[in-house]
Amino acid sequence: MKPIRKKRLYNILFVFLFSVSGISLILYSLNSNLDYFFTPTELKNNDIPIDKRIKIGGMVLEGSVKRDASKITFIVTDYENSIEVLFNGIVPDLFQEGSGVVALGVINNDIFYAQEVLAKHDENYMPPNLNLKNDS
Amino acid sequence: MIKKFIHQFASPKTYLFQVNRVYKYIFYFSLLIYTFSLIWGLLFTPEDFVQGNSFRIIYLHVPASFLSQSLYAIMAIASVTYLIWRVKLAAYLIIAIAPIGAMTTFLALISGSIWGIPTWGTWWQWDARITSTLILFIMYLGLISLHNSFSNFEKADKLLSWLVIVGFINIPIIKKSVDWWSTLHQSASITLTDKPSIDPSMLYPLIGSMIGFFGLIFCLVIISSKLQIFKREKTKSWIKDYV
Amino acid sequence: MFEFAFKSFQEAIYMNGHGVYVWSVVIILIFCLVCAFSYYKIKLKEYKKKLDETY
Repeated sequence: MKPIRKKRLYNILFVFLFSVSGISLILYSLNSNLDYFFTPTELKNNDIPIDKRIKIGGMVLEGSVKRDASKITFIVTDYENSIEVLFNGIVPDLFQEGSGVVALGVINNDIFYAQEVLAKHDENYMPPNLNLKNDS
Repeated sequence: MIKKFIHQFASPKTYLFQVNRVYKYIFYFSLLIYTFSLIWGLLFTPEDFVQGNSFRIIYLHVPASFLSQSLYAIMAIASVTYLIWRVKLAAYLIIAIAPIGAMTTFLALISGSIWGIPTWGTWWQWDARITSTLILFIMYLGLISLHNSFSNFEKADKLLSWLVIVGFINIPIIKKSVDWWSTLHQSASITLTDKPSIDPSMLYPLIGSMIGFFGLIFCLVIISSKLQIFKREKTKSWIKDYV
Repeated sequence: MFEFAFKSFQEAIYMNGHGVYVWSVVIILIFCLVCAFSYYKIKLKEYKKKLDETY
């Protein structure tokens, strides 16, 4: 490579490294703020003010969903800690026991009062009959 | 020999002639594959055990998202080539790709939003994956408008290449956002290292649609770069023979 | 692997209520692709004409 081209290459690398380090510093300082939701374990370790609106996420504990008129209660768990959620409204179609969920709301006395419930699905795609076959 | 080949191909004239020769084949081949895989995916694959029929949007969403990131990576490679070797064709490619990249990113965002309604229960959330893709879209638009605001092409090319390189950091962030932070968006189904977490009967049409969409976008890049060559090399004598 | 996933044509359009989302994405995507191709083709023709006139 000719010296001038080498110099240009080093310039490019320098500028790129500069932007990488800048961005990684920003991301590092923002790290927990970039998380979309808290897991139940994180909730336990952080003190969250009562009236602060937060998002929590985890799995819906199997057998915990109770429907009563328009009210629905369930337990969100990350299989270490869990929290009870109370929601007054319509849940998405994909909301199921044993699948992922994200809820927006406030915490009061260890009960999470949700204002919005979203379903989170995983990256597995399978035909339904195949799933039954794997289970049995 | 490779060096000679690259040198020849880097001249806009040879590029134009070579590309014209293969364009038709690529276009019809990828159109065929794309339509075939889409029909296969939309009508002939079993529904998903969780998402039901709405999972079929994957055959449109994943190719668009994949291309939106790959096109930026190609722009970054072209930028490095232009800045080091001052290859004019590379500079034409950068500005030829930018609008197409913006289009595919737009398609990825739109298809993702529509997919989110029946599955997540929302069409927009500020999670890391969605936000970083939106940033990519804005970056594409910024690059295009920046290039348009210059009257001196050479200055615009240089500034654009630098910005593309600086902005390239966003691509690994998009890719890794689902692993680094908790997001509403699920993590990748197809990775280089692991077995795909998607059933083969659903995977084959997905791969087909990715190849087909890639080919179609490649054709768009070809005609868009032709346009750039016509714009920028209109005073050259070989253009006269060509036309 | 190549079994038709639906019982009838109507069902393939409806897709248990998800058809609206799936087919609107299909329409938007194809529309964008067609627009992009025709835009560049038209522009290319214009430029060729312009170049023809100058020489």
